[in-house]
Amino acid sequence: SSVSLQILFYVNGIYYIFYFFATLAMIVYKSQVFSYPDSFLAPDLALLLIMAILEALRLYLGSKGNLTEEEAPLGLSLVLTVGSALLCVYFLAWQTYVFKADVILSAVLLFTYGLVSVLEIAAIAAFVS
Amino acid sequence: VAQLCVCDLLVAQCDVNCCCDPDCSAAEFSLFTTCSVPIVTGDSRLCSQKAAIYSLDVEANPPERIFKLIDHINPNVFCIHTANYQQALSFISPETPTSENFDQLLKQFGSATFSTDFDSWSVNPDSQISSDANGTYRYEYGVPIQTVDAFVRLPSPVVSSWCSDANPAAFLVNQATKCSRLVSVEKCSTIQAVSMLFYINSSILAKWHEFVFQVNITVQSIVVQSLNGIRTLLASSEVLRLPTVLDELCINIVLGVSYHITYTEAGEIIEAAASFVLGAITKETLSIQQSFEISFTQVNTKPVPLSGNPGYVVGLPVRAGFRPQGYPLPNTDKYGQLTILQSTSNQDCLAAAGARTPVLFGYNMISGCQLRITAASECQVLALTLLDLLKGQNFPEYVASFGNSQAQDVLDWVPITHLHTSEQVKISNVFQSSCQIPVSLEIEVQWTKYGSLVNPQARIVNVTATVTTAALNQLLSGRERIVPITSSVVFTDISSPAEPGYKARPTINIKLPFDFFFPFV
Repeated sequence: SSVSLQILFYVNGIYYIFYFFATLAMIVYKSQVFSYPDSFLAPDLALLLIMAILEALRLYLGSKGNLTEEEAPLGLSLVLTVGSALLCVYFLAWQTYVFKADVILSAVLLFTYGLVSVLEIAAIAAFVS
Repeated sequence: VAQLCVCDLLVAQCDVNCCCDPDCSAAEFSLFTTCSVPIVTGDSRLCSQKAAIYSLDVEANPPERIFKLIDHINPNVFCIHTANYQQALSFISPETPTSENFDQLLKQFGSATFSTDFDSWSVNPDSQISSDANGTYRYEYGVPIQTVDAFVRLPSPVVSSWCSDANPAAFLVNQATKCSRLVSVEKCSTIQAVSMLFYINSSILAKWHEFVFQVNITVQSIVVQSLNGIRTLLASSEVLRLPTVLDELCINIVLGVSYHITYTEAGEIIEAAASFVLGAITKETLSIQQSFEISFTQVNTKPVPLSGNPGYVVGLPVRAGFRPQGYPLPNTDKYGQLTILQSTSNQDCLAAAGARTPVLFGYNMISGCQLRITAASECQVLALTLLDLLKGQNFPEYVASFGNSQAQDVLDWVPITHLHTSEQVKISNVFQSSCQIPVSLEIEVQWTKYGSLVNPQARIVNVTATVTTAALNQLLSGRERIVPITSSVVFTDISSPAEPGYKARPTINIKLPFDFFFPFV
């Protein structure tokens, strides 16, 4: 099992909790200050919730796969990482209102995903062989 | 942003001190003193935007205009990087009427008010539907009173003074409204809102949303008002009088409705009565003014309006009464209140209809009328008439000192002191044989603050009614004179400044024992 991958999963989890609450707070702020009709607010909130669920699932599977040295959960976690990355890009560029703070947070999250993906591929390669 | 210029108001001409005006030439710029519009930007909350900066360089000779197009960066971390919602930062343009949506827009915005659907009122999901354990519904304060069709209507003016029939009467909210309505003799039987039937037609639901129990609106009394304003109470109020055309007049037009609803503690309506004022219109009448009122009484109670509990409340009538054989009687009807003359549009004292207005605590009032006296006026008769006019029919003798004084507490009632002064500046040793007519009545009510410092209550201490008279032949210096007659009420606060009360100093109770100096005493 790869120690660096495990550390990265742990850090990712903590950072994601911070990211989730920060984005939620900023959406609430935007809905009060700007004109944010319900038809735009609902998709943003729904996607944030989906992202949280995906993230939890992904981190659990990845951690389990890494500790038990099985490729299947790690592979699934990799696929889910792609999904999470897409959602992160949504919050970076396609949200109704994108703050500079949103850009910074999402960029850091994307960088983390990148690192996680690279380490996961290395771990899968190590476990398969 | 470079093309926007707010101060460019004159077309093809140079606006003064407008640095962004494209019509100005360099020679004209040299005549400017400042730039009225120094910077033109978009929404400042965006992270980066273009800004056009205009300034005048006064150092150069002649002064030049400097135009710079720069990128304005918002340093705040919460600036909008991208806004994917097109109308985010601008006003939404309203719908343009086309042939498809014209009908819907007309229905929504076509009348004097942007009306909502009547149907949506009867099924109100988030209104106060209250039901207790058995599932029975009851009325609560402010809930519209339901009838079989829709609601009890109290037409009231909306936006303008024309009546809108869509105003519902709310439970336990005493309301009085006045509005105008367009009428004509030709359409007198077709306009629904001027006929009695419109107001008593549908019966009121006794409980909220329950169609089982219904209360019919009974006609309590009908007052008929003639064309010159004289009102007569009809003896029998059973007959329903509908508008009919008679001799080029339309009679039995509803001029006023007054509803009285009786309710129980459980929020049920058990009785409803309506009193009408019917009038007549001529061919020249274009509009009438209707007045509507609704009041609520709880069953088996006789409400006595207090003017304060215990101190008087500003704006409530001063309670007064008489004292026949021992106890002062607090009269709760209008005739026993302390009233003063009410000024009317017809300022002639002798033609006044005797309208009086109650004295409200804390409101200084002055009213009056004008008396035309000629040489032929009879002094004694005039004096009596004027005294009657100033004091009213039943001028009370006692005034309640607290807002809730009861008849049994004799000491809570303050007697009215009557004073009489004369407006004469004559030599005192000449015997005043000329007869005097009262020209003014001044009521001075002295009150004080009573009770705790935190919540002082108003208490009337003293009431003085001063009648000032003047000699009739003094007033008559010419053929005909117009004398102003005034009556006024003044409230004076004679409360002494508050003194804090301290508790008694504690005394040290030391007593020597009885046999302290034993051997010697």
